[in-house]
Amino acid sequence: MDYNLKSIATCVATVAIMAAGAASAESVINIAGWGAQSGPLRSFGVNSNAVIQAAVKRVNEEGGIRLADGTMATLAYEYHDSACNAEQAIAVARRVASSDVLVGIGPTCSGAAAAMFGVFQKQVDDASDTGLQLPILTDTAVRNGLAKISQWTFRNTPNEPAMYDNLWEWIATNQPDLKTIYGGTETDQGHSNGTYSKVIVQAAIRHGFTWAPGDLEGLTGDIASGFEAVLDSSANWLQADTNFAVQARAFRKSGADVLIVSSHPFTTCGMLKEMSRQRIEPGLIVGLTSSSSAEVMKGCPDEAEGMIIPTSFAPITDAAAEVAALANENGGDADLHSAAAWENVMIIKQVIEAVGITGDASMVAQERRAIRDGLEALTETEGLLGTITRNQAEGEALKPYVFVQAQAGGWVVVHDPR
Amino acid sequence: MNIDHIDVIQALIDGILYGSTYALLGLGFTLIFGAMHKLNIAYAASSIAGAYVGLASISVMAIPPILVFFIGPLSAGAIGLVIYFACFRYMPTGNQLAPLMASIGALFFVDEIIIHETSGSPLSFPALLPDSYFFLGQFGIRGDLVMVMFFSFVLMGIVMFLLYRTKLGLATRATSQQSVAALLCGIPTHRTNATTFVLAGILGGFAGCLIAAAVGVLSPLITLPLTIKGLIVTVIGGLGSIRGAIIAGFLIGSFENIFLLVRGVNERDIYVFLLLFVFLVFRPNGLFGTAIDRD
Repeated sequence: MDYNLKSIATCVATVAIMAAGAASAESVINIAGWGAQSGPLRSFGVNSNAVIQAAVKRVNEEGGIRLADGTMATLAYEYHDSACNAEQAIAVARRVASSDVLVGIGPTCSGAAAAMFGVFQKQVDDASDTGLQLPILTDTAVRNGLAKISQWTFRNTPNEPAMYDNLWEWIATNQPDLKTIYGGTETDQGHSNGTYSKVIVQAAIRHGFTWAPGDLEGLTGDIASGFEAVLDSSANWLQADTNFAVQARAFRKSGADVLIVSSHPFTTCGMLKEMSRQRIEPGLIVGLTSSSSAEVMKGCPDEAEGMIIPTSFAPITDAAAEVAALANENGGDADLHSAAAWENVMIIKQVIEAVGITGDASMVAQERRAIRDGLEALTETEGLLGTITRNQAEGEALKPYVFVQAQAGGWVVVHDPR
Repeated sequence: MNIDHIDVIQALIDGILYGSTYALLGLGFTLIFGAMHKLNIAYAASSIAGAYVGLASISVMAIPPILVFFIGPLSAGAIGLVIYFACFRYMPTGNQLAPLMASIGALFFVDEIIIHETSGSPLSFPALLPDSYFFLGQFGIRGDLVMVMFFSFVLMGIVMFLLYRTKLGLATRATSQQSVAALLCGIPTHRTNATTFVLAGILGGFAGCLIAAAVGVLSPLITLPLTIKGLIVTVIGGLGSIRGAIIAGFLIGSFENIFLLVRGVNERDIYVFLLLFVFLVFRPNGLFGTAIDRD
């Protein structure tokens, strides 16, 4: 009798496991990621892919995504190469939109994102607009105000106006002897250029700093005020430049207490090395968000010493440290850009479970719309550094951030305003 | 910011010194053009690739950083040979565009390999003379660039010696001037061309290492701009002219810096390209080039 009961129980359990296995094998939610896997900005895509891979694995290890009928579906994803190139990003978006993918994460670079978002339907339910209708939740592309291009596009990237405003306030409070500012940027890089000339300098002016060479026409504390004058008066460079002698000399000549180096890692290192050669020692160097990465520490750890940057990622919580380790295992780095991809996968899971998706391949259009609406309705999520609130009118995130400083070859958190 | 005469002179000094890196690249372009009358567009990319191999070697083998300046040139020489066989040796001789297009393909191929191996991340490169910045009165001078300038003159001397005082040089010039006649005289033209590519590669690898040391950072971002600068230097100096390449390198470096100072970075390259057009229209043979319409 015991033997029969055990046999029956074993059979039932086996059938249940097989049924569950069959069910989960049948139910797959497809998402797609894309970014630079080739070209000079490949590191963005490598890092982003490494983090998404880890996040998808984690979701599936924890049982997958709960569908509307209560069964669990596996999350499947594919990463495409858009090379930080606008045409390629648009081509990938069109290809993905014609598949059964329910939501996309990409395309890493701001320039590609700006162009790509433009081919999406601007306003939902606008029958006259035949733009793509696929929800996109972007990491990395940080240039201000991109998500509002389309109601299908959402971002989980740092809010630079808030971060730099707080940074200058903190500097003004803690180092009151620093009064004047000067700097430069990569003028052919939309993010560096825009953030420098419209956000960083204005935030400094707002907190009482003055432009070292003299007052600039139209420059007030308002975002984007006098940005053309700022660019004209600054010592700028291009993102592939190799000679920074003239710019560094202008930095020296300005005599500013605080120097702003608003660029991505390659020219940040080139400029910092030239400043070091010319023995320029300002009271403080402020960098662009994107330079708070491992690349600067690989390229010029000594010259970056002391530079302060606000960032929305640092491995200072258990969750963030774990993601950093997982990204390394997958051959990438978790930084302020790529770490957001982890949060994006978790947000997608949260939204899919909240809106109730069937996973039925014949309902892709309706389910994409439901996910889009779910993303729009989302007001708050848990991120790696804490709670992320969302400004849904613009599809943007307000992420927690910290200030990091280059110290002894690493980034050290010097202020945590969370 | 106000610009005074000190700024202008300083920009000129910096430009001439930095122009020596362009001169080195122009020298390599010139050597290959002089030998084959063909442009190797992948030249700067293979030079930078050599620097990358040197950097990887010292990192992996934990050998003294100075060895990067030996391993880099040798690697670039080997890459130069591969490019010769891939893009020039077997291309139809009557089709002038084929090797040009092939070498453009090789430029992007080499660049992409670098990008894949490094994820595009900038890598710190050992400086030649890290603390060699000194002042002459009010003017700052970079000691490492003075050394690059010194090397550019030494290498120019070596190249001229090789071309005009050795059998290889004689063979190269003969092959360049009339390859069929050279072949009839018993000169192994293919081997001569291959040797020229290796020598130019070694020269380029050394230039690549010096450029990386001068910048302090290596990145695949720099290959395309250096290719363009190298070509401009070669054309302005006069295709095939060694001293022209050196002088044009200094000229472009100083021109670039002056316009950067006076007009800003967004207009800088416009004037450099304008200078190229002026030369192409009014002096197509460059500063020291021979007549283009040879037989």
